[in-house]
This record gives sequence, structure tokens and C-alpha cells, in this order.
Amino acid sequence: MTTHYNQTPRRKAEFIRPPNTLKAKVGSGGLSEDILNRAEALLENNTVDFQPLADMYLGTLMKGIEAAKEAGPSADREQVIAAMLYPGMQLKANGGMFHYPLVTLAADKLIQFLEVIHEPDIESIEIVLGFHTTIRAVVLGKIKGDGGEHGASLLKALDGACTRYFDKYKGTLDKLEDGEF
Amino acid sequence: MSYDFHKTKILIVEDNLPMLELTKSLLQTFGVGEVIPAKHGEGGFKEFCNHNPDIVIADWMMVPMDGISLTRRMRNDPKSPNQYTPVILMTGFSEKRRVVQARDAGVTEFLVKPFNARDLYRRIAQVIERPRQFVRSEDFFGPDRRRSTKDEHRGPYRRTQDKSITPEVEDIAFQEIVKSGDN
Repeated sequence: MTTHYNQTPRRKAEFIRPPNTLKAKVGSGGLSEDILNRAEALLENNTVDFQPLADMYLGTLMKGIEAAKEAGPSADREQVIAAMLYPGMQLKANGGMFHYPLVTLAADKLIQFLEVIHEPDIESIEIVLGFHTTIRAVVLGKIKGDGGEHGASLLKALDGACTRYFDKYKGTLDKLEDGEF
Repeated sequence: MSYDFHKTKILIVEDNLPMLELTKSLLQTFGVGEVIPAKHGEGGFKEFCNHNPDIVIADWMMVPMDGISLTRRMRNDPKSPNQYTPVILMTGFSEKRRVVQARDAGVTEFLVKPFNARDLYRRIAQVIERPRQFVRSEDFFGPDRRRSTKDEHRGPYRRTQDKSITPEVEDIAFQEIVKSGDN
């Protein structure tokens, strides 16, 4: 049996297996449950005040929203979206680390929305503003944990807004994906 | 027998100070001998050259240099003291294209924030127990982007030292995230 149709491979790759010095240093057996439980407790009991961090990321998100509102047709839409996406990602990443999982859940929905919108139009910016308002309310209200029924209804409302947006523009988005525009 | 981290050095590159401190405390609880902090990729590369750590844990989004650029530099800069050092990238992103971007930059493992202590431990155990081979080609140098599965053990674990390769440790960050991104 021949390989590469008898042609000489043009792109050669070299495979290297570096010595596992780390394994030699740490040995075997993993970490004990006791150590892992202590580490989990350290995370659960951390007393970091999330509000200053949240304020900073919410401020950056608001700047992104304002910039999106002012962006003209010649603006780079990926950059405009990124200016809202990155603070959204930070809110998602940090909320859950500092006892605000509801912030993480809401910001995750914001990211999912921003990752798939085609352009930052007025309606989509309004939705991002809705996310900003909701997350800000959660932080100001010091709603730790998942927020219970109230948290679930907030997330449902945000989900609903995103779904309605995509339902409204479904035909247009399909055409965009097909390259008709 | 259990892991003894006291001889290891880990560099954390993170611009969010509370997050940096929290990660540092977790590593100290694991028993890591030396934890070196840096606030961004540029400072991180300097510390990397000064200390030659065993593992680098870096955030993605930082200025003036992010975690992806830091990884590229560690892999390709002639000043790099060890091009093979494992990099665990921490980020809030979990979308497939972001994971692929990180993987293509030479990142070893991907840790999605928020994470818990066991998530961090699993990534560290992964780089200890299942280190990736490296690939050097015309346009890429970094950990092999495919992870070999032929050595995977499927049977029961009978010896105490096998604990370090329990299925929990075999959590394969990239592949799991990429799979979930496909859904």
C-alpha cells in the first residue's frame, strides 16, 4: 500500500516528546481529598468584594454600548461587538468566582448572544443594555447564589428577548448566511 | 503516596488582583513550593525568563500582552528558557472557536472561569500525567493538537499510585470543550 499517492511529503512535522520533569518532581498518587476539600473551602469562603470589580466591567460594557450606538456604517463591526463581548466575558468569569453565579449565568447568555449576532443594530444594542441593567441590579441588590425563582425569571426574560430578536430577523439572517447580501 | 508539589514553581499571569490572589492561595493549599505572580503577559514573560517555572497559568485577556501572545512568545522566542513549559489558559470564553484559537497558539490546557479547586487540580494533574508531545512544522510549534488515546487504561485501578490517573484526572479539557461546542 502506498502513502501520499507516491508523492514526496512537502510539509514535514517533527514530533518531540520532552522529558516529563514535572512528574519526576511531584511523584504519583494525586492530591488527597482532604487537601482538595480545604481548597474548595478556601474558594467558598473567600471574602472578596465583587462590587468594585463588577462596577469596573459594567462601566466598560456601558462604554462598549455607547460606542456601538455611535458607530457609523464604516465602523469595524467585529471591533464594536468585541468592546461589549470582552467585559461580558469578564463578568461571566468573575461573578461565579466571587459568589455571584447569577451574574455568570446572565453574562454567559450575553456572550452567547454577542457571539452570533451579525451586526450591532439598534435592537441588539437594546438587548445588551437590558443585560447591563439586569446584571447591575443583581450586583447592587447583592443577590448572591442563583437568585431562586426571581433569578430564574430574570434569565428567562433575557432569553426571551434574545429569542425574539433572532425570530424577528430569521429571514434576514438566513440570507446573510447564504451570502445573498 | 501523593503528589508533593513543594519543589515546583508555578507562574500565574493575571491582571485581576483578587483572582490572582485566589489562584495563588489555591496553589499554596495544593502545596506548591513557589508561586510567582505577574500582572500581564509582558511582565509574565520577564518572570518566565527569570524563574523558568514548571507550569504557567495565564489569563487570556490582559493588556499590554494577553495570554495568547505570552504563550506564542514562550514557544517561539529565542530568549525562552523552556519552550515546552505547559500553559494552562484561564478564560471566561468556552466557545469552540476561542478554544481552537488558544490551542493553535500553543496552549496546553484550557480552564474555563468560573472554576472550582478541583477543576484547577484536574488541569494540573493532566499536564503531569498526560503531557502532550510537541510538534514542530513549518507554521506551528507547540503541543500536539490531537491527544493520543491509545494508552488510555479502561480497566479497574488496582494499585494506590494509579489514583493519579483516575478517570477524573483524564478529563480532557480541549476535547471536552470542543465537543460541547459542537452541540
